[in-house]
Amino acid sequence: MKSWAITSTNIKRLIREPSTIFFVFVFPMLLILVLGASFGGGFTPKVGLLAEGQGEYAQAFVDQVIGNDDFETIDYDDRELLLEDVERGLVQMAVVVPVDYDTRITTGEVAEVGFVGRIDQSVVQYRSTIEAIVANESAIVRAARLQEAEGLSSFDEGATVARAMSLGSTGTEVEVETTGESLFGEDLGQFDLGAPSMLILFIFLTSLAGSAALIQTRRLGVSRRMVSTPTSIGEILVGETGGRFAVAMIQGLFIMIGAAVAFEVRWGNLGGASALLILMALVGAGAGMLMGALFDNDEQAGSMGVFIGLGLAALGGCMVPLEIFPDTMQTIAHLTPHAWALDGFAELIRRGGTIADIALELAVLAGFAVALLAAGTWRLRAKLTH
Amino acid sequence: MNVLECEGLLKAFDDLVAVDGVGFHIAAGETYGLLGPNGAGKTTSISMIAGILESDAGRVTVAGTEITTRTTDGKAQIGYVPQDIAIYPDLSARENLQFFGKLYGIPKQRLGSRIDEVLEVIGLSDRGDDRTEEYSGGMKRRLNIGIGLLHEPTLLILDEPTVGVDPQSRNAILESVEQLGRRGTALLYTTHYMEEAERLCDRVAIIDGGKIRAEGTRRQLVELVGQRDTISLGVVGSAARLVEALETIEEIESITSSEGSVEILVEGASRLLPRILDVAQQTGVGISGVEVVEPNLESVFLHLTGKALRD
Repeated sequence: MKSWAITSTNIKRLIREPSTIFFVFVFPMLLILVLGASFGGGFTPKVGLLAEGQGEYAQAFVDQVIGNDDFETIDYDDRELLLEDVERGLVQMAVVVPVDYDTRITTGEVAEVGFVGRIDQSVVQYRSTIEAIVANESAIVRAARLQEAEGLSSFDEGATVARAMSLGSTGTEVEVETTGESLFGEDLGQFDLGAPSMLILFIFLTSLAGSAALIQTRRLGVSRRMVSTPTSIGEILVGETGGRFAVAMIQGLFIMIGAAVAFEVRWGNLGGASALLILMALVGAGAGMLMGALFDNDEQAGSMGVFIGLGLAALGGCMVPLEIFPDTMQTIAHLTPHAWALDGFAELIRRGGTIADIALELAVLAGFAVALLAAGTWRLRAKLTH
Repeated sequence: MNVLECEGLLKAFDDLVAVDGVGFHIAAGETYGLLGPNGAGKTTSISMIAGILESDAGRVTVAGTEITTRTTDGKAQIGYVPQDIAIYPDLSARENLQFFGKLYGIPKQRLGSRIDEVLEVIGLSDRGDDRTEEYSGGMKRRLNIGIGLLHEPTLLILDEPTVGVDPQSRNAILESVEQLGRRGTALLYTTHYMEEAERLCDRVAIIDGGKIRAEGTRRQLVELVGQRDTISLGVVGSAARLVEALETIEEIESITSSEGSVEILVEGASRLLPRILDVAQQTGVGISGVEVVEPNLESVFLHLTGKALRD
């Protein structure tokens, strides 16, 4: 009961602090959103389409762009606005059909379709799709010109026949087969890859940053005053640990439920995901207790907490997927609890594993938690009474 | 019956012996002062007495129950008011009191009314729901004391509760402490202010260098070191002539004079003063004023340690 009084006071103090609310609840969800939008597998690129040419052939080209399932098309009527939106990343590329498109097509000249993309790797893929549409239209135009040149029909009639034949043609299909295991799985949702990383990163980071509150409690003399009451040291340590654990759990549950509801993130087996969350929260609580006992300056601990939290997260694979780490780095990464937790979530989310399949990961995380909690409570006990 | 008994308390931090064999007792309703300068060992001593600091040696009992950092039984008898303002700044006074009330094990049905009583006593009833970070220094000090009073302890330990407090709040705190003493609460009060020790304490221990140098009532301490009263006479006329006449009184230990005043050191000023005034009248020297200064704890401390309290 007395431990709960300490734990609940920790939670109350956290909830009261507006900046903490932002960093504990809002910021992680924003990062999941940004990472999902930038790198997620379910991402649909947007094409900004400026159709200056309004003729029959221009419209045929536009129809092909709009009808392509690989893109979402957004119409523009202002060239500058379109280019600005490409620069800002609001659309991934721009396609401009010139005003004299039909004139040039029907008079035998070359019509130039404009393509503007951002400088990144994905533009190559997008451009090839647009080039395929251009190639298809070019084939129709060449067929119409040939018929006109041979006196078989007018250009328009020839184009109509060629387009009809093009639509009816089965063409050539490329059959694609893959070999080996996919790194990330083809059925991954847009946010499935980033959400576990952010969950683990923030649980640990918040716990370390929360050590500042523990140091503040010590520096204010509140901790020693607790010792002067008929409350055992054990109850105080359980209460303080409970406070750190509760904060980590509240944040973890918020991220998991929020990401599932808002971004349709699938966390896999419920029991396994819950066990990973609980153990990672205990690891964070232990690390926070240890840091809160080792440091005497809350500002110093806050800065170091962010540094250590981000450093271990990067090393443990929360920022760049573990799968693309070299072998040596993968081994080093598994010195952190983050890597083990990520392995656990990977098994649950990507390979449909159960709690039994992540027994090793859970055991290692439990070991981290026990070691950190033991060291943290031992140091704090000494600080309180010596 | 003694509420507090402690003996042979010893605490060293590496090579520094902070407390060396401190021991005393406090009876029910008694106010006991630990008077000494900063670094004398007052806070370390009461930290061991309150059970928040492990001692290297010695024993503390409160109402017959041994107190250590590992025990909890006797701590419900103790109210501890630390020198630092040990409250959560982001909680209100009421929430701070609720928190510590739970740790003191006050039943839920009693806690609410008891918090109202304490807020009334410390004069924070109308600000009880405000965050304490918005309080003045004096208000925080009062809350700091209020937390110690919350569970109506048998022994209240106050560690320099008036440090950094404005004169008005300081006086309010001292009056509260006097009231507690009158109600029968045993008080252990540490201070480096001689006036506070003289005003509040039934008995005082002079502590310096981790050791109790002397202990007793104010009078006992003064007598212990043989200090005498000083009679200061404002003189109109020849001070030299008055000094010459006063030298005939054997009980006077020493006389010093300066222009317009004569300082006379005696034992028992009230007994000798009429005779001194008679002599002055006989010599025809006018007396413009009389002041009797009794020896105080400051002079006792100076005598015992060779340094001033505020050194």
